[in-house]
Amino acid sequence: MDETRMTGTAGREAGGENDPRTGRAMDTVVRTRGLTRRFGSFTAVDGVSLDVGRGEIFGFLGANGAGKTTMIRMLCGLLMPSGGEATVAGFDVYRESEGIKRNIGYMSQRFSLYEDLTIEENIEFYGGIYGLKMDEIRVRRDALLEMLGLQAEARKLTRDLPLGFKQRLALGTALLHDPKIVFLDEPTSGVDPRVRRAFWDVIHEESKKGKTVFVSTHFMEEAEYCHRVSIMRDGKVIALGSPGELKREYGRSTIQDVFIEVASGRTAAGGGEARAGGSGDSAGPAGKGGEGS
Amino acid sequence: MRRIYFMMKKEFRQIFRDPPMVAIIFVMPVVQMLVLSFAITTEIKHVKLAVADLDNGVATRAITRAFANTDRFDVNIVTDDPAAVKEGMRSWDAQVGLVILPGFGRDLARGPAPQVNIVMDGVDGNAASVAMGYAAGILQDYAEKSAAGAPAGAAGRGAFPARMQERMWYNPDLDSKNYMVPGIVVVLLTILPMMLSAMSLVKEKEIGTLEQLQVTPLGRRELLAGKLTPFLILSFIELAIVTVVAVLAFGITMSGSYADLALAALVYLATTIGLGIFISTITGTQQQAMFVAWFFMMFMILMSGFFIPIENMPPFLRRLTLLNPMRYFLAVVRDLFQKGTPLSSLWKDMLPMGLYGLAIFASGVMKFRKRLG
Repeated sequence: MDETRMTGTAGREAGGENDPRTGRAMDTVVRTRGLTRRFGSFTAVDGVSLDVGRGEIFGFLGANGAGKTTMIRMLCGLLMPSGGEATVAGFDVYRESEGIKRNIGYMSQRFSLYEDLTIEENIEFYGGIYGLKMDEIRVRRDALLEMLGLQAEARKLTRDLPLGFKQRLALGTALLHDPKIVFLDEPTSGVDPRVRRAFWDVIHEESKKGKTVFVSTHFMEEAEYCHRVSIMRDGKVIALGSPGELKREYGRSTIQDVFIEVASGRTAAGGGEARAGGSGDSAGPAGKGGEGS
Repeated sequence: MRRIYFMMKKEFRQIFRDPPMVAIIFVMPVVQMLVLSFAITTEIKHVKLAVADLDNGVATRAITRAFANTDRFDVNIVTDDPAAVKEGMRSWDAQVGLVILPGFGRDLARGPAPQVNIVMDGVDGNAASVAMGYAAGILQDYAEKSAAGAPAGAAGRGAFPARMQERMWYNPDLDSKNYMVPGIVVVLLTILPMMLSAMSLVKEKEIGTLEQLQVTPLGRRELLAGKLTPFLILSFIELAIVTVVAVLAFGITMSGSYADLALAALVYLATTIGLGIFISTITGTQQQAMFVAWFFMMFMILMSGFFIPIENMPPFLRRLTLLNPMRYFLAVVRDLFQKGTPLSSLWKDMLPMGLYGLAIFASGVMKFRKRLG
């Protein structure tokens, strides 16, 4: 079957039981096998198999249209896959999307708080939607406002915030209900480097607390902050591994150079295939999580 | 339930934070009622009349007085030159001309029913025909009176062997307000819920919050319930405002029961809110939603009998009105206000209205759910 083949290349054989970062065994929280999504005759995501563990920061790199957003949308339950399997937090994407929704946070490319509500009203609304009690909402709201240094602005309309704060507020809101997994779809596009830095501080903080973070990005230096990175092209994962591994494998000094070589498909015809296969082997750490224990 | 509560709270906050929205909801209906009920009137008063009295006898002066004594006509010009009537009409000083030929009084006394000529400015055909009716009525009135006052055997009696007695029921003065104001209730309950629900759903789609909501545990049913209940409540507040203004400020009589009106409105709101949901599923931006809603609105209002009586439509269009849910609600509301017919006797309108409501609301909700699936 499809997924067996895929696990074959990307998972099982590569084997290994340990977290690439800590060396400790880890639980898989996101697992896909041959996950595919077609839009008419166009295949946006083509047989992707991944295992991502607890506390891992997993980066999606890829040119526009490579399938990153489609991948994230399927894992969030926003889009039905056309084929393959996937579980998120142990829930099946086809049948148990309600379970998934309780356990994930999501931040899309677009700013998705209500601009005509105040900051605290936005927090209260999303807290309420996630079923938090009013006093829980208050505690978390105050903590979030303090973290952002926005206590004084709590009653201001969200539309009046600078973009950087808006994005950090959106991230804080996506984390409000303490989800196991957070999906961030190009969360830092359009914000300045200082804010981006602050953003990544939060991401690392959450990862230490055991949250799994999926993040897609255009910024190659951000890829260096991830524990593992997958590079997608034409709906396929063509390279997968820790930033260090990828750089070693492709003999490049930065992820940017690796990305340019891999994603542009400059490794012509047969070479491309070989590379893809090769990256499958290097994707070992992915399998480690999946088959751990 | 808690999720719906938070959704509703958010929705109310957004509505009341937006001053133009508040104005649209609470001021627009009253303004609309003022403007429409005064402007759109089928009764005509103070028609400018030019009288060319070439006879200038007792009888003709009495006729002129009869016209002057009603507020239907203002006698603007009295002349003995028929050409002056034409001139008056050209210069907009006269809309109706009454030309009485020489010898009118003599003929009247002798017996043969004499003629008067009425000329009308046909530019506004509607007004002309209404004014024509008034003029005929005044002349007939005069003829009856002079016949009754005349000595026995006078010709007058023979001239009017049969008399038609007209009596308007339910709206004895044919006061158009009694007819128009309930219609405005219907128009408002069409525009407001449809626009509000379509625009607010599409807005969430446009700014991306709908997608954000979809990854939360908020179910689609909860989403719709939380989003649409505020509009349902606002629509009822709207209905209350308009009804109170209609009864207190316009002196419209509400002959039926308010509970019946509320129940009929609830059934009708399923249609208009359902249409709003439906529009939101086929459009991607607020502008698109606005235009589509506009299209539905125009069709519904024009095909409802609000402006154009359905009986006056050609058969094809008349059949087309059967597809229009607003047509039934308009009939129900006018019946409730003017005749006080109990709702149970209005099943002929309530039944199709309820079926349309059910079908439109259900398909709107289904399409909304499917789209996101």
